[in-house]
Amino acid sequence: MRGHAHLVAGYVPGSSPLHRMRLGLKATLLFAVAVLALGSPIISTRVGAVVTTLTLLAVMVAHFVAGLGWHRMWRAIRLMLIFLILIAGYQWWQHGPWVAWQVMAAIVATVLASNVLTSTTPVDELLDGLAAVVKPLERFGADPERFSLTVALMLRSIPFVIGAFGDVRDAARARGLERNLLARSLPVVIATVGYARATGEALAARGLGDPEDDDASRP
Amino acid sequence: MSPAPSCRIELAQASVSIPPSDPRIKESKTILAPLSLTLTQQRIAVIGANGSGKSTFLRLINGLVLPTTGTVEVNGRSTHREAAAVRRSVGFVFTDPLSQLVMPTPQEDIELSLRRAKLSKKERREQALAILHEYRLEHLAQSSIYELSGGERQLTALATVLAVVPDILVLDEPSTLLDLRNTRLLMERLAALPQQIILSTHDLALAATFERVLVMDQGALVFDGDPHQGVAAYRELAG
Repeated sequence: MRGHAHLVAGYVPGSSPLHRMRLGLKATLLFAVAVLALGSPIISTRVGAVVTTLTLLAVMVAHFVAGLGWHRMWRAIRLMLIFLILIAGYQWWQHGPWVAWQVMAAIVATVLASNVLTSTTPVDELLDGLAAVVKPLERFGADPERFSLTVALMLRSIPFVIGAFGDVRDAARARGLERNLLARSLPVVIATVGYARATGEALAARGLGDPEDDDASRP
Repeated sequence: MSPAPSCRIELAQASVSIPPSDPRIKESKTILAPLSLTLTQQRIAVIGANGSGKSTFLRLINGLVLPTTGTVEVNGRSTHREAAAVRRSVGFVFTDPLSQLVMPTPQEDIELSLRRAKLSKKERREQALAILHEYRLEHLAQSSIYELSGGERQLTALATVLAVVPDILVLDEPSTLLDLRNTRLLMERLAALPQQIILSTHDLALAATFERVLVMDQGALVFDGDPHQGVAAYRELAG
């Protein structure tokens, strides 16, 4: 299976201020970016466009301060370019250029901001952060470790599923079945289910996800 | 924690069968016929054709598969009643390391293994880097697991399993996807380990170097004993 790890922004080692910043503060800033970009149009279309533009500029500055570079930024934008063009075109047609720009800038700002967060935070630290967020729900039966592991697995699975799509597309093309929807989709489903089973087995083999004292509860 | 000096795996009439996929058939399908044996040797190889029951047998040892009948005990602990404790003491390496490595990078995967050890974040990181250094993988610490070669992936998978210092190491055809050089590298690493090792393989020359060989055929154990005789028995079976 080919790798598509670049689709999920992995941790980039570094010593920038963003790398040193506490996860809680980074998450708060990410939340603030989302609120500013998505909430400011409530005031007025023009205010929304201006605030979102300023937010996007701030996120771009943060991106470069983190030492991530143009290439990484373009890679993130390129992946959603078609959707951005379609959404912007529709918004322009329905509501005019200000709204079209605001919506597009809001999407790019939030995606880039989340990229900055994941690029400057090791996954292990993210897991600890997620576990801490879920910790208060422990009294209601939530398992923070299991929750954070689930999120990590979800992130880990995205490159696999996209890679499976690529492999199946190439296989269908080689057999002259590139226009056959079944030949291009069914193997992906089968591969994904197989991957999920294998991952579950691997986790069980490593004892990950086992409750600490499950032995006592077994018959 | 250091590995136990001697380990004992006991199977007593352990069998595995699955319900038939066709509802018209009433009898369940036997994957592994009832098996009774005690494994105490440090190096045990399991050989046999594809579909002979090797993987099911190995999965019985760490409780990934529970016996339909009979019992499996590892150092006195039942895989049925004390599954988590057994899994903590039995490390398992799969044929395809990509399904085993669940985190984006080798360092993060080893740190994930160490989460059970209740170490601080700093200790986990230091220990993960030390393990990667020990396996000469430190230069790959931050690489995507998708960017590693097959050999690097398998060594990483081995490192993630050994990070928690299991007493027993079970490996299911670990060299099937490796080239000659990486196979040799992996086997050198395994030879140096103090753990009890139970390994399935199609490499008969390798199996002959072990202390004991089990030959599986059509879900049954057909030979158990001297490695050279075991390899000869398997060759005969294969025709």
